Amino acid sequence: MATKPDTIYRAFDRKASAIVEFTLRQYRTKTSTWVVLGVGFTALALIFLIYIDVMGSEFESVDNDGDSTDYDNDGYPKGQELRLGTDPWDSESHPGLFDTPIEPDPISMYINEDGFDWDINSKIGSQTTGIDDDGDCLNSNKTDSQKDTNDNGVPCDIIVEYFRSSDGNIYTYVYADSGVDEDPDEDAYSREAIHMAFVLSIGKLGFVLLLGIFLPLFMATGLIRDEMSSGTMHFMLAKPIARSEVFLYRTLGYLGIVWPYVIVLGILGALVSGFAGSGDAFFRFADLGVWLAIIFATMMATLVYGMLFNALGVFWKYGIILAIPFAAWELGMALLSMGAPDAMLLRFSVIGWALMIVDAAAMLVWPNLDLFIVMGQWGGGGQGSGWDFDSSLEGSGPLDFFSSKPGLGLSAFTAMIVATLVMLFQAAILWFIGGAIFKGKEIQ
Amino acid sequence: MIPDFDQQGAAETKQWVPEVSAPAILLENVSKSYGRIFALSNITLALNGGVTGVLGMNGAGKSTLFNLLMGKLKPSQGSIKLFGTDPWKNPAPYARVGFVPEHEKMYDWMTGYGFVSTFARLNGLTRDEASVEANRVLEFVGLTDVAYKKIGQYSKGMRQRAKIAHALVNDPELIILDEPLQGCDPLARTTIMNLIRELGRMGRTVLVSSHILQEIERITEQIVILHQGRLLALGNLHSIRERLDKIPHRISIQAENPKELAKDVIDIDEVYGVSFPDGKNISIQTHNLGAIHSQLPRIIVDNNHKVSTIDNPDDDLASILGYLTSGGGM
Repeated sequence: MATKPDTIYRAFDRKASAIVEFTLRQYRTKTSTWVVLGVGFTALALIFLIYIDVMGSEFESVDNDGDSTDYDNDGYPKGQELRLGTDPWDSESHPGLFDTPIEPDPISMYINEDGFDWDINSKIGSQTTGIDDDGDCLNSNKTDSQKDTNDNGVPCDIIVEYFRSSDGNIYTYVYADSGVDEDPDEDAYSREAIHMAFVLSIGKLGFVLLLGIFLPLFMATGLIRDEMSSGTMHFMLAKPIARSEVFLYRTLGYLGIVWPYVIVLGILGALVSGFAGSGDAFFRFADLGVWLAIIFATMMATLVYGMLFNALGVFWKYGIILAIPFAAWELGMALLSMGAPDAMLLRFSVIGWALMIVDAAAMLVWPNLDLFIVMGQWGGGGQGSGWDFDSSLEGSGPLDFFSSKPGLGLSAFTAMIVATLVMLFQAAILWFIGGAIFKGKEIQ
Repeated sequence: MIPDFDQQGAAETKQWVPEVSAPAILLENVSKSYGRIFALSNITLALNGGVTGVLGMNGAGKSTLFNLLMGKLKPSQGSIKLFGTDPWKNPAPYARVGFVPEHEKMYDWMTGYGFVSTFARLNGLTRDEASVEANRVLEFVGLTDVAYKKIGQYSKGMRQRAKIAHALVNDPELIILDEPLQGCDPLARTTIMNLIRELGRMGRTVLVSSHILQEIERITEQIVILHQGRLLALGNLHSIRERLDKIPHRISIQAENPKELAKDVIDIDEVYGVSFPDGKNISIQTHNLGAIHSQLPRIIVDNNHKVSTIDNPDDDLASILGYLTSGGGM
């Protein structure tokens, strides 16, 4: 009789490939697999359809500084009268009464005529920027002090000040001279901001949270438990293989179907947003970096949750019930990470770390993202409107909500590495715990 | 290793075989309890070689015993060793064990070949090795023709044989079969019983459980009887049988003309009573079952009786258990 080896710690690759292959083929025969994957695809496809619809629509142009209005009904918009030195509030004073009368300009000339010209980076300290494109600040009728309302000695500029408070948070202040960059192009800004907000929101909520939790919830909880309940686990455990090995290889088999699925959906998302997104370019190549991070973060999330839910399934027959509080906790943590990315509680979640990867990538790919948000929230300062007027541009709010600093005060690259290592560690711990529970389990 | 003093020429390289002396199965004072209910109590047993039948009624502890051996349950007391290793702590001995579980549920979506070859790889075989081994054992159990059919389409007997094939794929020294004949038709039973006997002839240690005495009887003489979690008897079935023959027995015969048959049967010395429970049957009482069985066929043939069935209602596990538990034990 052939000599049999006295250890199970050998031929890992063969055992692993056998169980992984087996698990994949088993998934293929289960209706639930196709239902879960189909529902995930449909949900994301619907969100993408909404996105394409939004991107295809026009954002209404607004005359933020009110200079397109003809207040005195003399047929000349306020901007033209100011430029030519007539009184915009007096119908008896207009360029038509000049020696060589001047025809009224079309109103569109005074809408979106002074857009953002911010040539700065988001760094701590005070910077000046901005160009008065329409000349309503540099107007020769203005005094020097009227041209320098922010009082920094430079006429017609904008001060952007990054300020780190004692609690570690960064605040930004915008002090603009009156009439500089005050009438931005809403369509251009909102299209870009909504595109970014969309990529971040579908990445964080659609991929990392929805796919990251629901795929493992329905596909990993039964990896060991279903076999234990049906009695087929006897076949596997009658072989010279450690139970924690079975636990790991089953989880790898689950990843073998979930990871390609996430990658395919992520590539589809990158293609849709790349072609349909804002900008003049045919395809937004830069965004691929964010999509890569979204795919990676989702893969890490499905790994950690897969281990967790598999372990819960081993622990209790109705492990899926135990998984639900975890899913609820993670949902709360996902929302918390949008509002307070530095919250301590996030460190006790999985999603907090996964979203950190997405945030860090967004910071790398869009280095001026926070400046862009500040710009949109300032939105020209609302000159020509009342004091309490919210001058922020459409899209800046959602973008502000869905983007966060990676937290922990780390640089983007370091944050990505740290988050990845923490999640690998979480997965390893959960494997250890799940394997230990499984090993101590009596199977009838 | 003992040096070979008669060695001539170069030394032969021999592979070290771990724990050669350890018996395949060694249980010492093993108990398994659930709360205050004992599923198994104080079992001591050593088995090495040959086919051993484990007999017991449903709930006698057969499956508990096997699950303990297969490391699925942890003994409440005592120690279990498979080839010298505790299976609860270390699954290594399963490299030398094949197990056929009792559970009916199988992977219906797999082909017989897929099932056997996939699980062969868990023994550390490569894909190619597993393929060769799978084909070998499928031929051994006679499933080559249907190897590429889905298990879901198999008959009960084929499913049992597929399970046996899966257990044999690592060429095990110890084979444990939990109720392998349950639910099989007579033809499948015969095939599987022949397989088990063949394994015994090949020098493997085989442990097979059943609650039907006649099945075990056709496979092996060496039996272990479990009753209510206790080891009631251990040894040769025939020696148990011989004693059993001496206790009162009934033989029930269904005949066309019971009265005529009764007249002839009563002449046999060992018969001490004949009764007619209904119009078709006669019931013979005897102290010596063997003697009756040797004479009855001749009487039937000589006197031209038309007999449709001969039945020994007492010759089953229940009556053996009754005999053993009523103080007639060994």
